[in-house]
Amino acid sequence: MTTPVRFAYADPAASRGAGNLLAYLPVTLSHETHVLAVVGLLDTGSTVNVLPYPLGLQLGLVWEQQTTRVHLTGSLARLPARGVIVSGQVASFPPVELAFAWTQATDVPMILGQVNFFMEFDVCFFRSQVAFEVTPKGQAH
Amino acid sequence: MSLTELFPAIKMLPRADKLRLMQFLVIDLAQEEGVPLLSAEAEYPIWTPLNAFDAADTLLQMLKTHQAEP
Repeated sequence: MTTPVRFAYADPAASRGAGNLLAYLPVTLSHETHVLAVVGLLDTGSTVNVLPYPLGLQLGLVWEQQTTRVHLTGSLARLPARGVIVSGQVASFPPVELAFAWTQATDVPMILGQVNFFMEFDVCFFRSQVAFEVTPKGQAH
Repeated sequence: MSLTELFPAIKMLPRADKLRLMQFLVIDLAQEEGVPLLSAEAEYPIWTPLNAFDAADTLLQMLKTHQAEP
C-alpha cells in the first residue's frame, strides 16, 4: 500500500477567500527531453484531460505533427484540439502516461479529468478541510 | 429626500419598474460591497468539457495504440 499524498486547495485569484479555493495539483509533465512543472485543476466533471496550447509548446509538441483530432465540448468546442500523450508525475509516485486534448485555447487552466487522470489516480476530496489526497490507482488504503 | 417621502412614489410605480428598482438596489449594494455579479451582457466561458465522450474514446484509443507499440 502507498501512503496518500495530501495537498491543500489553492486560490487561483489569490485573495478572494474560501469560496474561491480549488483543487490544483502540482504535476511534472515530460515529453522527450522537455520537462515542465505545472499545476492542473482536478475537474471530476471533465470527461478528458485538457492541455492549454502554451504548455504543449513548452513541452516541445508541434501542432502540425499531431494528427489525431479531438472534439471538445463547452467553451472549448469552438477551437480545434489534438490528442497527445505525455508523461506525468505526481509527487514521488511513478510517472504515468497521460492523454490530453491539446487545445489551441490559451486562457484555460490545465484540466485533469476522467480520461485518463482519474483512471490513473485515486483522489479523495476533503473540501471541509481544504485538502485532497492522491494515490496511484489500486494502492489506496 | 427621506425614505418616508419615497415610499408613496415607489408604491405608485408599475410592477416592471418596481422590479427594476429592486434590481438596481441589489446591484448597487453588491458593487458597494465589492461582490462580483454576473452580467447579462457578458459571456462566461465554461472550460469543463462535460460529456465529451467522443474525445474520451479518441484519447483512450490513442493510449491503447501507444501502449501496444514496442
